[in-house]
Amino acid sequence: MPHVLVVDDDPVIADLVAFRLGRLGLEVSVEADGEAGLAAARALHPDLVVLDWMMPRMNGLEVCAALRADADAALARTPVLLLTAKAQEPDLERGFAAGATDFVAKPFSTRELISRVTAALPPGSIQA
Amino acid sequence: MTALPAPVLLASTGVTGLVVLLLLSVGGAHLARRRRERRDAARRAELTPLIYTLLDGEQTAQSLVDAPAVLDDVVLHLLPQLRGHDRQVLRDLLISRGVVDRAAEQISARAPWRRGRAAMLLGATGSTRYTPDLVTLLEDRSPDVRSAAARALGRAGDVDAVPDLLAALTAVRPVPSGIVGMALLDVGTAALPALRAALGSGTAPARALSASLLGLHGDLPATAALTAALDDPGASTDVRRAAAGALGRIGAPQAGDALSRVAVLAVDPALRSAAAEALGRIGDPACVAALAAGMSASDLRVRTTCADALASITPEGRDRLRVLGALDGPAAPAARAALDAVSSEIPRSLTGAH
Repeated sequence: MPHVLVVDDDPVIADLVAFRLGRLGLEVSVEADGEAGLAAARALHPDLVVLDWMMPRMNGLEVCAALRADADAALARTPVLLLTAKAQEPDLERGFAAGATDFVAKPFSTRELISRVTAALPPGSIQA
Repeated sequence: MTALPAPVLLASTGVTGLVVLLLLSVGGAHLARRRRERRDAARRAELTPLIYTLLDGEQTAQSLVDAPAVLDDVVLHLLPQLRGHDRQVLRDLLISRGVVDRAAEQISARAPWRRGRAAMLLGATGSTRYTPDLVTLLEDRSPDVRSAAARALGRAGDVDAVPDLLAALTAVRPVPSGIVGMALLDVGTAALPALRAALGSGTAPARALSASLLGLHGDLPATAALTAALDDPGASTDVRRAAAGALGRIGAPQAGDALSRVAVLAVDPALRSAAAEALGRIGDPACVAALAAGMSASDLRVRTTCADALASITPEGRDRLRVLGALDGPAAPAARAALDAVSSEIPRSLTGAH
């Protein structure tokens, strides 16, 4: 069962995302700030990280860049989906430059999020 | 030891008693508030998953009609962060719970906070049914209510309210430009035709804000109107500066001539700087000569902006900076500083943490 790590400092959003992804049969972990998210990613080796950008302690871009620079090659390749209100053209450039795999702009649709999560995971890993 | 006179003793005892009573009542109120907050938090934790199942289609809005009022707080927290089907489901829930009707009744309440909350709720529904009420609130005597009404109109996304929002900038009781700007951004690209119209014929603040917003939207069809506003000597400096900034954001090379003229010939240093910055954003090598001419300006800010703009045009602009930096004169320090800044640039992708 694929494992998704959700990192968002808004507990209602984090729980909503975790709930919807959990319903797809995914194993979901939740962290509330970038630092804890990075530590969890190193400990859990998730198949996908859903990452907020604007967070305390360590922002999403820093987490993303740290993951990409990790000595563990498998972790460094983990797909990262940025879920963020910062989705203007320069933000997208910065996000992709930091290593993001994809973006979901807030306000977001949970249906779109699910589609993008499905696309970011290996084919067939989610049972329809 | 002399005994205190009875009246003094009585008065001091009374004061002490009052202080104790006051402390007890403050403590009691604090405890009651803590208890209420804990109860609400527990209820929220209990009710929030029901909203998730509602969004998942496993629950109907009808089944949550009688849920406690704290449910509305969760819905109102989620609503602006979701869109599409999710937002519609939450709006329907608020309507079926009577939240919207109650808000409509509160729109003329005596307390400003009630009117402000009513405006916020009505905007959150995304319905245009209440646009006239919200437009009326744009002239409310309370600045907070006026701002709430403006944001609500933006969230409701009613294009018909765009002229009213722009008019609120210069009303007797005005709404701050930042608030109106955010509201108009919330309306989205549907507001563009109205903004283009306001750029041509609105008041100066409306023209300036419209220009800025057209730039933020990267509205290519507005290029000609923005160039005309930039070139209009009768327009206020704010309008012309906003037009220059917008042309830079749009990245319109066809505005290069007009921006070059302003960067070199305009009187106002802030306007010249805005035009130079826009030229840097556009990055057209054809503008290098104008920016180099701008570096002989007497105003330091103009020279610095021209130098930064040249530094962003590679290789032609940087080559010109090297020449200017090697000469004597007022342009040299700005040229050298811009080249130094470029050579020590940190990758922009990792700066500006949010």
